[in-house]
This record gives sequence, C-alpha cells and structure tokens, in this order.
Amino acid sequence: MRTWYFSEMAYHPAWKEGIDRGSLRVNFPNQAVDPVEAGKLLNRYLDEFRLCDEVGIDIMVNEHHSTATCMTVSVPMALAVIARETKRSRLLTLGNPIANRPDPVRVAEEMAWLDCLSGGRLEMGLVKGAPYEIAPANSNPARLMRRYWEAHDLILKALSTHDGPFSWEGEYYHYRNVNIWPRPIQQPHPPVWMTGMSVDTGILAAERGHVVGTLLSGGLAKPMYQAYRKRARELGWEAGPDRFAYAAIIGVGHTREEGYRRADQIADYVRTAPLVYEGFTNPPGYNSVGANVAILKNGPRANRIVTDRHGEQIDHRKATVEQFMDTETVFAGTPDDVFNQLKAFNTRMGGVGHLLFFGQGGFMSHQDAMSNITLFGKEVAPRLLELGVPEAAAAE
Amino acid sequence: MSQTIEVAGVSLEIEDRGTGRPLLFLHAGEGLQPERPWIEILARRHRVIAPSHPGFGGSALPDWFGSVDDIAYLYLDLIRTMGLQDVLLVGACFGGWIAAEMAVRNTARISSLALVAPLGIKVGGHLDRDIADMHSMSRAAFMQKAWCDPARGEVDYTLLPDAALAGIARGRESLALFGWKPYMHNPRLRRWLHRIDIPTKLIWGDSDGIVSTAYAEGWRQEIAGATLQVVPNAGHYPHWEQPEAFSAALETGA
Repeated sequence: MRTWYFSEMAYHPAWKEGIDRGSLRVNFPNQAVDPVEAGKLLNRYLDEFRLCDEVGIDIMVNEHHSTATCMTVSVPMALAVIARETKRSRLLTLGNPIANRPDPVRVAEEMAWLDCLSGGRLEMGLVKGAPYEIAPANSNPARLMRRYWEAHDLILKALSTHDGPFSWEGEYYHYRNVNIWPRPIQQPHPPVWMTGMSVDTGILAAERGHVVGTLLSGGLAKPMYQAYRKRARELGWEAGPDRFAYAAIIGVGHTREEGYRRADQIADYVRTAPLVYEGFTNPPGYNSVGANVAILKNGPRANRIVTDRHGEQIDHRKATVEQFMDTETVFAGTPDDVFNQLKAFNTRMGGVGHLLFFGQGGFMSHQDAMSNITLFGKEVAPRLLELGVPEAAAAE
Repeated sequence: MSQTIEVAGVSLEIEDRGTGRPLLFLHAGEGLQPERPWIEILARRHRVIAPSHPGFGGSALPDWFGSVDDIAYLYLDLIRTMGLQDVLLVGACFGGWIAAEMAVRNTARISSLALVAPLGIKVGGHLDRDIADMHSMSRAAFMQKAWCDPARGEVDYTLLPDAALAGIARGRESLALFGWKPYMHNPRLRRWLHRIDIPTKLIWGDSDGIVSTAYAEGWRQEIAGATLQVVPNAGHYPHWEQPEAFSAALETGA
C-alpha cells in the first residue's frame, strides 16, 4: 500500500461564519476571505506538501471551487509549485473535473507540461466532481457522464498522439488541429485514475484498467472493488491492489490521545463538506433516476447518512472520531494503532494498493500537520508498503 | 387515459381528451400533471392533446435528442402526423418556449397561440436575471416563488408510486438538459418572434415569482398584436392554480 498525502488547503478562518449561514460553498460571499491571510495559509500548506518528499510519501492534490473548505482552485497550478519543490514523490491529480472543463485539450496540455516538469512523476485523475461543483462551473448536470467520457477519450488521444494534428468532431467537443506541445514523458500517457462510489464505476474503470479510488466509506468501497475485480477477470486479467485507492482521514500521534485529537481536527473536513445550501446539493441529472427516487421519498438529508461496519446509521455532520472509525472514514492513534487498523482494513477490502492520506484539515496547526506527516511517513508508510493482497482475498 | 404515439422515431406519451377545436398543450418544466383538474376543464370546449415532452413522464428521450429545437420540430411533426388543422397552441413556462420556437418556424396548421408565463427569451442586460434561477434555490423557496399559494402546489412524494417518482426525476433531468445553459432561453429567439403571424395571447399569473410581467412586456413588444391577460391569485402556473379563470382567459377574444 503506497501513501499519498493530501490536504484541501482550507480557509478555515471563515468556517464559523459559513456554518452560521448554513452554507460554506457557492453562495457564501467571498468578503469573508482576508486575501492576505489566504496567501499565508497557501504558503504554509505548500510547505506541508514539500515535507512529504522529504519523508518519502507521494502527493495528491484535488480542487474545489467557490468554497471555504478548499482553496485549491486548480490542480495543475498547485502541482506546478509542488513539482518544483519535490524530487521523488509521485504527483497525483485527483482530480481534474473534466466534465466541468470546457476545453479538454487544455487539460491534456497542462498534464503533459506537468509530466515534463516533474520528470515523469505525474499520475492523472480524471473525475466527475462533486454535485456542488456544478454551480460554480455552470456545467450541465444532465448527461454529465456522457460529456465526461468524451473528454476522457479526447484527453488520452491528445496525450498519446505523436503524428498530429488530428481532428475531433464529437457531441460536445470540436477541434480541427489537436497537436499538444510538449508531449508527456510517460507514454502512451501518465497513469489514469478515476473516483467513484458505485459498482457501475468499478466496472467502467476495470474496462479501461484505470486505478479507481473512493472516499471515506469502506461500506461503499468494497462492492466497487469487487465489481472491478470481477469485470477484470471476465476480460482476462487479474486486478491487483495497485488498481484500488482509498481516501481516509488519519491522525497519528506519539500517544493514542494525540492521534485521536489530530484525527478529530481533520474530521472537521467531513463534518463541513456537506454544509451547502440545499439548492446546490443535487443538481438534476447528477444522480441516477433510482437515487433521485430514493431522495424524493426520504428527503435530501438521506444523502448525508452512511452506514458503518455494524449496520448503524451515521450522520457525517455530527459524528465523533470513534463513529468515523466505524465507517472506516478515520484511522487514528499511535503509529502501531494506525498500522494495525489499516492492515485489518486492507484484509477486509481484499487488498488496497493506494492510501489517500487526508493528513491536514481545518484548524489543525502547522506543527501538528508537520508532525502528523512525519510520523506517518517514517513509522507507518514504510510498513504499509509490505501489505499486498491479504491471504483470505488471494484465496477468493 | 394516456396513449403512446411515435413521431420521428420518438415514443411520446399523450393525453387526448374531449372534442372540438384541437388544443395542443405544451406543459411546464414541472411536468404535465394530468391528475390536476385543468385538463378536464379545457376539454369541455376542446380536443386537448397534451404530450409529455421527451424525457418527461412516460415519453422517451433518445440519445440523439437534446435541444428545444428538437422538441419544436418533433411537435410540428406531431401536428402533421395526427392530421390536426386550426390548432390552438398553448405552452406554459418551458412549454411556452417550445411553442414560440414552433410558431417562428411554421404556423400552417396553427391558427392561434397562447403563451402562459413562457420562458425562452432574453430581455435584460448581462446582470439582469429575467428568469428566476429555479435551480439555485431550495424546493421550499422555489414553491414560494412559483405559486401564489404554495400549499396548492404541494405534492406528497411519499404517497407516489416509484414509477411516478421516476417520471418526476427524469423530467427534472430533462429540463436541465434542454435549459441549463443559456439558462432557460435561446439568446436569438427574441429576434425571430416577429415571424409569428397568428393571433397571440400572453397569459400571466399576478403573483408569478419566476418571470415577471415586465418580462411579459418584452414578449408583447416583439409579437405584432399580442395581448396580455393577467390571472388573479395565480403564480407561475395559472392553469393549475386557477384553472377556471385560466380557461376563461384562454377563451376571451379567441
């Protein structure tokens, strides 16, 4: 299991005001930002990313828009800085919200440029994006995945074509001369990742051999991984753990209490993420008709509930660290605690090759973040590298 | 009872009730809702033909289909397929946009037009919101804007069967497909409204919070001889909220 550190580079000084208003996103006016303070925080967060290279773990960057929870507005912009400041870490975009981007060829150019700049260290996540990203991008939520797949195909074609220009006359995108300069070091293109929460996504990712990642819920991840493995077998290949990624909040401390305290601070990310005005939570077409039938029956709050390992319903907005540990959203404690929890998780999931380590969030101090990264990188991550396919899963 | 008719390769669910001069009714973004009393009231004087738009209710949405232009051509084909003449074309809200797109193309079989709080044109400047952003508000806020008395519009979704809920979910997705960007209008349609060469009536609820009577004036100025009738105690859906007064407004001067 490899480790990829990420943080959303939050603007937490405005969280209280946003929480009081009932929305941290989209309709939370940016007068709540002190831009000088934002600049200081960005520099601090980039220092934390740089530390990952020193302690030997990889790096992931994501992006959100119009929100106090995440100041990373552009994955390639953040990675451009990080690529210059690191030497060894692989650099993952998870990801580029390609169905919300009007210009897929521009995405291909940015990814190729980053791959060159970083000496071939780029891993390229192409994602659907969260429902509340639809409004800031004003992209059409209907047929979103159809647009996603056309953008996906065009980006990979642009990265892997060397004898262009070629033309593209699709349903959504139209170009007559695609011929990106530079082209990526990694050929035919940097490794591709997707994210998802459903069996369908597992199947679609397997059909392309992409890495598939999921976020914060073991209960959703396992059926997706299983669907991926099954589909890969049908297609004549065996999907190893390196095809699967899982994002979790992790607090490590010199004592168990310190680890829990850190995890509790980072978990504010999960508690705040759903805080968005109702009008932006479920744009029509983003979710399937079946999911919308369930939402009409149960109300919009049905979205915020997840089921833990014991079948209990947990409300993400209010959960404690212990409850989050039961939904496999959080791993916390001493380095030994966290290693043992992740080893057991790896067994339950049948082997997960990539851990997306949410190691900073909200009000966690710089000192705590640096300590969390260092402890995890030095005392947990090297042991995780030894975890492969668990014996029980290998026998399946 | 609804029936199914295939036009241009698209399977449409259609209500066909009453006898008399044909009235083709194009429904609002919220769907057809034939269980409300409006359709029976209109059917006292007319043969009311009311399709669910492609992707709404039980009507199909083929992969190739995806714009208001497509719907306009489809319904012009529907009129011809059914052999209708002397049609009274009525479109409400999103259906009003479709009706206007039909009328600027071909009125050979359409002899009069009623646009009921139509969406579809841009009147104001870049910073003016002619059409309320129905997709950036909570359901409760939407109901407040769309109805004079929101209680009249409430639907208890927990009482509906899954098939009906699926129809609603499909309709909401389809409305986004057709009208997300530019939001619920065609930036060029206003320039072609002068082509409408049949008697045209605009009908508006006096409490419409989605499109205002100032917006109605924008329509009236572009269509020669168009008149505006305001229905009291009605929001964005006068045919649902005040069906008798709506029916009377439709007949006045017609």
